[in-house]
Amino acid sequence: MADTVKITIDDIEHEVPAGMNLIDAAKLCGVDIPVFCYHPKLGHDGNCRMCLVELGLPRKNRETGEMELAWFPKLETACTQKTCEGMAIRTTTERVTDARRAVLEFLLSSHPLDCPICDKGGECPLQNLTMAHGPGTSRMYWEDRMHLGKHVALGELIFLDQERCIHCARCIRFQEKIALDPVLGFDMRGRKQQIVTSSTPGFNSIFSGNTTDICPVGALTTADFRFNARPWEMVQVATICSHCPVGCNMSFDTRTDRLAGGRTTIRRVMPRQNEAVNEIWICDKGRFARHYMEHEERLTTPLVRKGGMLVEATWEEAIREVAAQLKAAGPNIGAVAGGRLSNEDLYALQKLIRGQGSGDLSAYLPNATGGEIAARFGVGVGTNLKYLGAGDAIVVVASDLHEEAPIWWLRAAAAARRGAELIVISGRETRLDVEASQSIRCAYGAEVATLNAMLGSLPKTAVKAGESLDGMAEAIVHAKEFTADAALKAAAKTIAGAGNAVIFVGSEGLTGEASRELAQASANLLAATGHVGRANNGLIIVWPSANGQGAADMGFDPGFGPGYQPVDKPGRSYGDIFAALADDVIKVLVIAGADPVYDDLTAEESIRKTKGFIVVQEMFLTETAKLADVVLPVQSAAECEGTYTSGERRVQRFYPAVEPLGESLPAWLITQRIGEVLGQGAPSVSAAVLLAEIGRNVPQYAGITCQTLAKVEEQFPDVGGEDLYYGGTSFQNVRGLGVQWPTLAEQVDAPLSVAPAQAGEVLEPADGEMIVVPVTLVYDTEALFFKTQLLHQRVPLPHIGLNPADAGRLDMVDGDLVSLTIDDHRVAAAAYLDERVPSGVVTIPRRLQTQGAPLFATTAPVVKLEKVEA
Amino acid sequence: MSLLERRKEDIERHLAKYPQKQSAVMPLLYIAQEEYGYITEEAMEEIASIVDTDVTQVRGIVGFYTMYYSQEKGKYLIQICTDLPCALRGAEAFSAKVCEALGIQPGETTDDGLFTVENVMCIGACDRAPVIQVNFKFYENMDMDSFNDLIEALRREHDAMQPYSHE
Repeated sequence: MADTVKITIDDIEHEVPAGMNLIDAAKLCGVDIPVFCYHPKLGHDGNCRMCLVELGLPRKNRETGEMELAWFPKLETACTQKTCEGMAIRTTTERVTDARRAVLEFLLSSHPLDCPICDKGGECPLQNLTMAHGPGTSRMYWEDRMHLGKHVALGELIFLDQERCIHCARCIRFQEKIALDPVLGFDMRGRKQQIVTSSTPGFNSIFSGNTTDICPVGALTTADFRFNARPWEMVQVATICSHCPVGCNMSFDTRTDRLAGGRTTIRRVMPRQNEAVNEIWICDKGRFARHYMEHEERLTTPLVRKGGMLVEATWEEAIREVAAQLKAAGPNIGAVAGGRLSNEDLYALQKLIRGQGSGDLSAYLPNATGGEIAARFGVGVGTNLKYLGAGDAIVVVASDLHEEAPIWWLRAAAAARRGAELIVISGRETRLDVEASQSIRCAYGAEVATLNAMLGSLPKTAVKAGESLDGMAEAIVHAKEFTADAALKAAAKTIAGAGNAVIFVGSEGLTGEASRELAQASANLLAATGHVGRANNGLIIVWPSANGQGAADMGFDPGFGPGYQPVDKPGRSYGDIFAALADDVIKVLVIAGADPVYDDLTAEESIRKTKGFIVVQEMFLTETAKLADVVLPVQSAAECEGTYTSGERRVQRFYPAVEPLGESLPAWLITQRIGEVLGQGAPSVSAAVLLAEIGRNVPQYAGITCQTLAKVEEQFPDVGGEDLYYGGTSFQNVRGLGVQWPTLAEQVDAPLSVAPAQAGEVLEPADGEMIVVPVTLVYDTEALFFKTQLLHQRVPLPHIGLNPADAGRLDMVDGDLVSLTIDDHRVAAAAYLDERVPSGVVTIPRRLQTQGAPLFATTAPVVKLEKVEA
Repeated sequence: MSLLERRKEDIERHLAKYPQKQSAVMPLLYIAQEEYGYITEEAMEEIASIVDTDVTQVRGIVGFYTMYYSQEKGKYLIQICTDLPCALRGAEAFSAKVCEALGIQPGETTDDGLFTVENVMCIGACDRAPVIQVNFKFYENMDMDSFNDLIEALRREHDAMQPYSHE
């Protein structure tokens, strides 16, 4: 079949892609066929009948033998048609307009027409299409209408107005086909038909908010936005989600408000279309977790410790104090920076610390590393997981993507359903295993060995693509020392034979060094089989925070300077920084956007013990800030501007949406003001100027400016444009798609090399001991996130995961309060028995405990696990 | 006792018939209805877990099909066809008399929990109208005399048996 076909729409011939959905094809030609149930992301359902058209197809005349156009006697649904040569439709005839009017009259037969108080009013396909095609008046009697529930809670997040619902099933289909949580359904039938959910908790899906975006009427609304503002009153401010490394494009829809004392406030968060990143979806964490930004406990003035107490101070006083301490400490300083900080914040901070002669810079959480390997072997420019399908391979190693990066989970699962081979390698079964074509269980700590064994099992012909690379011969010789069973051989063969291959490198159960080796092992496997240096091939690191890649790029990696440039003397690692702090070798430590005291028992001990000076840049008085000597209030991502670099190395810009709170300042500006006192030069005029400086000093960011980041191109499918039927006023991406910077592997004649990946030891706990594995949950009690009340019901209670067989041996039952002792620290929580936790392992969700849990003490054998007697 | 414990053999027989477990939802729902008289919340949850789907999907099927009952019914479910051919033979008047005799309205259950009356669509015995089904068993060419005899017989049958229990 030809790639394009000629079809005739309203007597005008168009050339369109063959086999494309007729609605989409017509839209490409500028012809709008109105729809309700059809959505390009969900496919056709044919239930609403709004897209009826006159349809003609070529047919052979039996008498003359010639081809002629035969029109169907009745109207056909355009959404169920695919384009083919010679197809003809009429969309403006009287029959068609009559049919549209009739369908709308039917849909409106019980619709309440409460548009003046409806959240959708103003961006509602039903409203738009009724204005365009509907009858002006109703023939229905009031008594004949169905009167149904107006505020039916499908859960605490999503509300259903049963009267407004037109039963298009978009929400049901989204949950079944895309979110893969089939928790919505129709109950009853005919006029009694209703959307219901029976899951516990109600509407149990972390993607539930998306159903309110695609709902073509005001039937589904979020608890966050309902009755909160009218769509046309709001200003859309482009932003980037700050909760995980996917880098979802979002918009803060803001309104300047009398009720908020004339301030501009965020009224809702909506996805912004970027087909290469998040398409048109975001998870509920990204959508709802914004409330911390306007929380009353936000810090509004600098705090300085005086007489043992943190008291309010002026900026001048606080900055002078910090600068004086830094000056006195000389090079004995360090910084720990969270991945919520922007590239500008991170660049300024490393510049300050390096400018004083220290290289002790650590990213937080420090157990995901390997940014430098991603800079060489990361996914190529133009990568779009949407294009992975049959013949391609996706490997996910040591990560629970559903919890750590929900939109990647969604897109990986979708690729698997399109036919891509999905190989999941991890210590425990996760939700992705259900979608996987191959699940490989390996012991925690044996991930590198597993990937090495896969590389080693490949025949010489399969690794031809990488043989010219420096170090590949040694890497393969090293890999041959590991033995592969049949499953690993099959997986390796799948990757070698795949058209495209992407590896998601996680860090579950790994230390910083181990995760670097895992990235190396992944890179070796991909490079050997020719899956690097081009689009849709390479590795993606599942960073534990939004800007983990950016932090590594800016030099928050002890081994490298900004842009992975070599340093004379490697800095201290995260663990060494806190050890040096405890020993008073490090005299000033700047902790920015990180809360180690809450997360990490060892760090807490060091901070309590040290005589050194602790500076915290934070939005809240976190557990760490409480122990600091100076606390500097920073602006939230909604108040300042900056850039994040996603796990796919896409640099994306966010814009200020609301006025800054109190005296808070952007983190980069605070840092640069300190630097100014130390003689490092005047602060930048703006974050944009600082981005230009990054472009000059970080080779990968050369050429990345606000102008290039703001470039947009047409997105397909177009659901945010001027049409009347997809609705939503926030989808359209007008403020930039970001720039993905190229890996070294994509550059001609670049000095590219690989190295053997060193497998760490697999811990073998002695009798009575167990291995502790911290795992990440999407909803936890992290200080910022937990300020958002709206999601509290979704945060699990503190618990540890335990295999039922181990529990039986220890005489524990589900829900027992147990305590575990790790390096003299006791953690108490309820035991959840879970068959997916391997025997001999205890999983501890990060940031779910009332007291510090071992964030970084991965694979530390538990000395004791005991039941707490009631 | 769970449905699986009560009717393991039947459930497995139905599961074995289909390439996908989900396809067995409807026969399993009938088993639940046989066991409990109607489809309980617990039964929906158990069936959802047996066929590995969300309980919402099971509820949707129960809601869609009128012959699955999500509310408790009397021991004897009397379904009176009032569709057109039966109506022409006096089924509507017959239904009114039946309700009067039992002292209930269509859709209600007698106080002793024995009889539920429902008016239903065509049950495919138009040539022998008026026609009723009692627990899906046909009784044709009905009038009040034959109906009263039937009720008497059912009361005797009930008294002769152990008291009905949903447990």
